[in-house]
Amino acid sequence: MRAQFRTLEREQRFQNPPEDKSAFPLLQDAVAPHIGSFNALTEGADGGLLNLAVKDIGTKTIFDSNDTDRLGNKLRIRVESVQLAKPAVAANDKISVNRKTYPSECRERMSTYRSRLMLKVTWSVNDGAEVSEIREAGQVPVMLKTNRCHLEKFSPAELVAQKEESDEVGGYFIVNGIEKLIRMLIVQRRNHPMALIRPSFGNRGASYSKYGIQIRSVRPDQTSQTNVLHYLNDGNVTFRFSWRKNEYLVPVVMILKALIETNDREIFDGIVGAETTNSFLTDRLELLLRTYKSYNLYSKQETLAYLGDKFRVVFGATPDVSDIDVGKEVLKRIVLVHLPDNTDKFRMLLFMIRKLYALVAGDCSPDNPDATQHQEVLLGGFLYGMIIKEKIEEYLQNINLQIQSDINRGVAINFNDRKYMSRVFMRINENIGQKLQYFLSTGNLVSQSGLDLQQVSGYTVVAEKINFHRFISHFRMVHRGSFFAELKTTTVRKLLPESWGFLCPVHTPDGSPCGLLNHLAHKCKIATEASDVSEVPKALAQLGVSPAHTTFAAGPSLCCVQLDGKIVGWATHEQGRIVADTLRFWKVEGNHGIPVDLEIGYVPPSSKGQYPGLFIFGGHSRMMRPVKYLPLDKTDILGPFEQVYMNVAVTPSEIENNVHSHVEFSPTNMLSILANLTPFSDFNQSPRNMYQCQMGKQTMGTPGVALVHRSDNKLYRLQTGQTPIVKANLYDDYGMDNFPNGMNAVVAVISYTGYDMDDAMIINKSADERGFGYGTVYKVEKVDLSQSRRRGDPITQHFGFGDDEWPESWREKLDADGLPLIGVKVEEGDPIVAYYDETLGKTKVKTYHSSEAGYIEEVKLLGDDSGDQEGQMITIKYRITRQPTIGDKFSSRHGQKGVCSRKWPQIDMPFSETGIQPDVIINPHAFPSRMTIGMFVESLAGKAGALHGIAQDSTPWIFSEDDTPADFFGEQLRKAGYNYHGNEPMYSGATGEELRADIYIGCVYYQRLRHMVNDKFQVRSTGPVNSLTMQPVKGRKRSGGIRVGEMERDALIGHGTAFLLQDRLLNCSDYTQTPVCRSCGSILTTQTTVPRIGSLASIRCRRCAHKLDTYVQKHGYANDSDIWEDGQGKKFVGGDDTTTVAIPFVLKYLDSELSAMGIKMRYNVAPR
Amino acid sequence: MEIDKSDGPSVTIRESERDHVNFILRDVDLSTANSIRRTMLAEVPTLAIDLVEIDVNTSVLADEFLSHRLGLIPLVSEGIENLTYSRDCTCDNYCPKCSVRLELTAKCDTDSTMNVYATDLAKFHNGSRLGDPVIRDANRRGPLICKLRKHQELRLTCIAKKGIAKEHAKWSPCAAVGFEYDPWNKLNHTSYWYENDAAEEWPRSENCEWEEVPDPYAPFDYKAKPSNYYIDVETVGNLPPNEVVLRAVETLQRKLADIAIELNKETVEASNANAGGLTTYGRNQFDDGGDSPGMGRTPYGGDGGFGGNSSWN
Repeated sequence: MRAQFRTLEREQRFQNPPEDKSAFPLLQDAVAPHIGSFNALTEGADGGLLNLAVKDIGTKTIFDSNDTDRLGNKLRIRVESVQLAKPAVAANDKISVNRKTYPSECRERMSTYRSRLMLKVTWSVNDGAEVSEIREAGQVPVMLKTNRCHLEKFSPAELVAQKEESDEVGGYFIVNGIEKLIRMLIVQRRNHPMALIRPSFGNRGASYSKYGIQIRSVRPDQTSQTNVLHYLNDGNVTFRFSWRKNEYLVPVVMILKALIETNDREIFDGIVGAETTNSFLTDRLELLLRTYKSYNLYSKQETLAYLGDKFRVVFGATPDVSDIDVGKEVLKRIVLVHLPDNTDKFRMLLFMIRKLYALVAGDCSPDNPDATQHQEVLLGGFLYGMIIKEKIEEYLQNINLQIQSDINRGVAINFNDRKYMSRVFMRINENIGQKLQYFLSTGNLVSQSGLDLQQVSGYTVVAEKINFHRFISHFRMVHRGSFFAELKTTTVRKLLPESWGFLCPVHTPDGSPCGLLNHLAHKCKIATEASDVSEVPKALAQLGVSPAHTTFAAGPSLCCVQLDGKIVGWATHEQGRIVADTLRFWKVEGNHGIPVDLEIGYVPPSSKGQYPGLFIFGGHSRMMRPVKYLPLDKTDILGPFEQVYMNVAVTPSEIENNVHSHVEFSPTNMLSILANLTPFSDFNQSPRNMYQCQMGKQTMGTPGVALVHRSDNKLYRLQTGQTPIVKANLYDDYGMDNFPNGMNAVVAVISYTGYDMDDAMIINKSADERGFGYGTVYKVEKVDLSQSRRRGDPITQHFGFGDDEWPESWREKLDADGLPLIGVKVEEGDPIVAYYDETLGKTKVKTYHSSEAGYIEEVKLLGDDSGDQEGQMITIKYRITRQPTIGDKFSSRHGQKGVCSRKWPQIDMPFSETGIQPDVIINPHAFPSRMTIGMFVESLAGKAGALHGIAQDSTPWIFSEDDTPADFFGEQLRKAGYNYHGNEPMYSGATGEELRADIYIGCVYYQRLRHMVNDKFQVRSTGPVNSLTMQPVKGRKRSGGIRVGEMERDALIGHGTAFLLQDRLLNCSDYTQTPVCRSCGSILTTQTTVPRIGSLASIRCRRCAHKLDTYVQKHGYANDSDIWEDGQGKKFVGGDDTTTVAIPFVLKYLDSELSAMGIKMRYNVAPR
Repeated sequence: MEIDKSDGPSVTIRESERDHVNFILRDVDLSTANSIRRTMLAEVPTLAIDLVEIDVNTSVLADEFLSHRLGLIPLVSEGIENLTYSRDCTCDNYCPKCSVRLELTAKCDTDSTMNVYATDLAKFHNGSRLGDPVIRDANRRGPLICKLRKHQELRLTCIAKKGIAKEHAKWSPCAAVGFEYDPWNKLNHTSYWYENDAAEEWPRSENCEWEEVPDPYAPFDYKAKPSNYYIDVETVGNLPPNEVVLRAVETLQRKLADIAIELNKETVEASNANAGGLTTYGRNQFDDGGDSPGMGRTPYGGDGGFGGNSSWN
């Protein structure tokens, strides 16, 4: 038990932030996957992933002739290297002395934290000398606290000096002032062939079966290419891949023959191995080889040439390249791209074919793609790098296109002329940075290739700072992919035991993203750099693994040893186990140069289980976690692949000899950060802990301390935050006290007034008046005068008052400079800023648009990027006070949410013998069905802690059946002179009589949730209506009505409340009185006559009336009093049989629409 | 010390400290005892800052938040009887007769943080201690109001007014009022939940010593009523505890007297809802035999005694 309050320590740290390192290293670890992956773009072997990427893109060849006979001059152009600068002010800024741009400035100015991307473009003409030029490719948004960020190595003191939080973690981008992050995505484990049975595989073609082997192989620059082997019902195997969103199918033997110079015998042996008696296998292999004969391709060269011919167009090869070279290019870019060597590719393909046959024969089971075992995490930084790579490739293509269009237009082309080349560069869109900014701000992936991913949108999310819980959770969030969100099946959402320790079983939202949006367990790390596996092959050879090149072996009867998807050798299964165990011992010991985070996945032979072998992984993006290795009592790093076949004891007490090799450091390691903060979560029914993980993130807490340096649209802040009395030790380790999320409340569980029914809670009025749950909402409004102005136009609007006449009352809210006074209260329609419009010569004001009054908290004047123009933009921060009101939502930390139903006077609240009155009353009925015993335990612990003045540790699984928290805290209560069980006799506040039962009362930490009535209430008597239908509009913002829909209508009918029904649907909606013609029954043809002097206007039906002249012709004369006149001076007689009826206005609209289609509606009006 | 025990209520003071008094109230009805408790908590008038006029506030705390903090500072309220309620005062807004003015001027000019305490509130001299902040800490500074950084400034005027805690908790003279009767649970008003043995599991109240140990075999006296109340008043410091009790009794008496006066009136003044008074539900006088309105008659129809001349018409 080491829970403490550490108040002074915290105060000390706040006054003097540490000058060396953060006091909360765990927070840095939490965002490490994001920062590490971004750092990997520019640092590490071979100059970082971006430089690897441009190497992989290679050289583009362009000819300057359009003739089919003549190629013309040859330009070979490539990007030699990529550089990313650090964020700095724009080059056209002549004023700034300090050229660095810091993130806080971007947040406040609503700009983007970005830096220049520089490409070194190199080209040679006709294979002559190379020329290079450094091109700027726009400004790329940069992740905070990475090696491209100024804050990278800042100490808390320096961070504070740069207007950041003292423990700023980074890991996100700032785009237009909004904090965005790329969320982690689950993808298939790299370089490991996975056996799949998918009915959709059968849809590829006539004889295609549901069996397949899929491998996602990853290039050194972290881009990937998926290869699939399909089993055809006749026993054949085809190789499938996607290239630029198109699918291609190639017979697998063709690939095999193209890879190396080989023969049928070698292929047969490499697949069948010693199992020549397995007729299932030999039959299929015979067929496989025999059907290929029809292609009449025998040598490697022939095959390559055939492939090259077919893929020439797809790959856009230039005429100077031979078919063979194109074929080689195809193999290099498509087939098992993680392996540079063709022989390795060949062996791996044979292994995959063998696994496919084993799957078909039922000798091995399919692998589960939803299990963590076969998954890894696509990290934000890597995805970012993939996009940059693709954009650079597009850049080169654009150069090609530009030159082509120059040829077509007949522009003189001279590759040797620097002027011409500059012209080409000038004319193409070089702004890669802008495209990345688009990606970050929308989350949409615009890509030619699709990047081997299954979705095009939803890659980025806003790192919302509602409170710190929410903020930090964003960085631990892993999504399964939006493709799965639309899936009808729920199998992908299942919680599988494989994910133990990697994904938190508790922390997932309920509702549509349930099980798809997971959070990493708090000890789970993700590899952002590859481990050094150079010593592993040596160690394997030492342990007796026979190398792959010397042996011909195949099949599940032997143990195939693979290192990062490369077959290193073969061993027997007995040997394999020993090799795996020894390797593990060596890696934990650390003497043999084997990295400790190497994943040694030994899959033992089984009857129809997973395909056996020894699969060793040391690459990027793997999930891993620390556990204790028992033989050496040292830390071992486990991965999800190997964990499945290992025995890890959860607690030391359950270790069995010769069974367990590892033990967990703590059982809480399997929970996410937030799930760990739920006190005594081991006593709660599990869904309640899930709810708390959600509600913790919706709490009105403390989003940060440097709030003055932020300009978020909306910020919630709890003014009276406290540290919880009852908290897990991890609460302190994660520095949660810097951002308090609630307050300790005295809670009585009692059914007292009836106002606590149905999850309502009663708040003590006096507690409320003393500040319980008092919160503030900060809203920021941006006023941009340049919005109405086109670029390049002169400035015509200026902040401030002009010389013209303007209402003096504006000065009540505005200062002499036209800006609002700090601290002034503004209500709807009040001026918030004055500006002078030159073109109109008038002073105008912008007004406050919100029915809720606010106070001016801050006004910030924002300049433009170059900093030499008149300011045209300001932001105004409003402070809106939110005292708790009836209808506001509160919750404890156990998924027990409730709505405040009353503020009950203190004197009427029940009280204990010592005179303590509860701050909050909740109804006992909240417990039996929900079984949140943790809340009772917290109440008990909180009460004991408050009485003794100590903090209580609430880490789950520290108590047991013999040592219960009820006894532990009961004893503390007894010592303080209270009832052992936490009950107290209480008295009615109204009568003073002792209540019939004793009451459970204690201290519970309460959170105020951000859902407040003030944001939600919707009420209207009359208001705006839709002009077409005359019905009330919808929407709270427009002060619209709430729809009485079909079901509500049904209910009203069912209750027989006809009058109410009419009131809702007609009288309070589009009730209209309209004239109708009785004789022709039309409501559209009636009109008001122009009144003549001495008489009133009347309603006549124009359709039934006759024109005066035709009438006179017919009848000879017309009585003067019968003649009426319309607005245009035409005179009529008749049509006077009209009356007025009440109808819903839409009926009239319907009638007009129908008449437009030539349909007449006729109404019978009764009584006549 | 025992006060006259012969007849009528009596009080035994067990403990009395500066901010705290513990006494036994004997021979009163439960409702009376509870009324005293409720009055002490909510209806004893005290002084608290009610209005804050802020000239300058460049501190990190928002105006309304600072005002709230100021309001909760306990102010010495001895002599509050000389102050009228602001709403009853003849003045326009407030005046020295109904309010106390305090001023706070603080500006930090040093590099270190400056703390502003309640003692920094400067009261406009009024010839008494009324309105001085209550100081109880060892450093004699009073509650911390705000912290100021270099160049931050606070300049404000506070108007303290008389009020009661029913309106706002800041006017409460009490922190908590302990209240207990029947420590042996002889009356069986409550039942103690227990796992094995109630006597074992429940801590015995200290007040048990002041009452006789009940005979477990004695028959249950169903007519018994509580008569001894163990009351513990803890104040926040603005009024001494004995004062709180006495004022509470006084307030209670006045309220009862007001009711008595109203009831004894021949005619009810301002007896309509518009004037804010009690309504007689349409009847002017209960002259027909003194039964209450509506008795023996249906409210609908009938002789028109109802609704006929309602003040709402």
